[in-house]
Amino acid sequence: MPIDDYSAAAQSIAAFLKTLTAPGRLRLKYRITAGSGAADPDGLEAREIYVELAGPDAPLLTQRGGELLRALEHVAAKIIRLDQEEHDKVSFDANNFKALRARELKLAADTAAEKVRRTGQPYSFAPMSSRERRMLHLAFRGYDDLETASSGEGLRRFVVAYPKGYDHEKLSTGLAGHRR
Amino acid sequence: MSSQDKPDNMQELVTEIARALVDEPGAVIVEAVERDESTVLRLRVAPADVGKVIGKQGRTARSMRTILGAVSMKHHHRYTLDILEENQQAAKAE
Repeated sequence: MPIDDYSAAAQSIAAFLKTLTAPGRLRLKYRITAGSGAADPDGLEAREIYVELAGPDAPLLTQRGGELLRALEHVAAKIIRLDQEEHDKVSFDANNFKALRARELKLAADTAAEKVRRTGQPYSFAPMSSRERRMLHLAFRGYDDLETASSGEGLRRFVVAYPKGYDHEKLSTGLAGHRR
Repeated sequence: MSSQDKPDNMQELVTEIARALVDEPGAVIVEAVERDESTVLRLRVAPADVGKVIGKQGRTARSMRTILGAVSMKHHHRYTLDILEENQQAAKAE
């Protein structure tokens, strides 16, 4: 279901955030941007609604690899009735976490690309969320001689990078379908 | 724990989030059950909405528990979330 009413979606998300700040007593401020103004200038996120959080409790959001930030994103996406494959349209950020993580992933991609070229062998990344896998896939778009795919199920799904034209039969992990 | 830290706030938090997630917000009930060291929040929703609060591979329930975990820290008291499924609800009604 596409987001056909940004204002209603933003209001639903604001109501959700208020439950965290009022009964939940988390000291957070938020700014919600919806529509074209929410677009990621770096093009790494496919977001249409961008929620920036700040305040004394913002560090809680980015602990443990951004676990709480992801939990809020997930619940917010469900509240505005996005289908699973559309969850990337909602993005929560705090202390520039997304941009910093994107930079880390880009570095990891560069290191892996160098290794795949040197060895001619596939490289498996650690399991990560669908958003982070997407960032990795995008990072590899810059390499014409390499391809990526996602493998594994659920929480253990991870990205594999391999030389273009690599014989998939050789991939012992059994790739569970390409992405992009 | 001061009076304003009593489970009412947490009950309200879970109730509000659950109401936003389901199709039948009027059927959402959250009970607080005090244990020695923690409070169990028992969430009941309409049978057709159980899947919505649990989510694919339990992700929505896990996300709500993560949120509750963070808020628990703020309140210096442990709150856990139980989602009662249809058979448990029926059993309880008997």
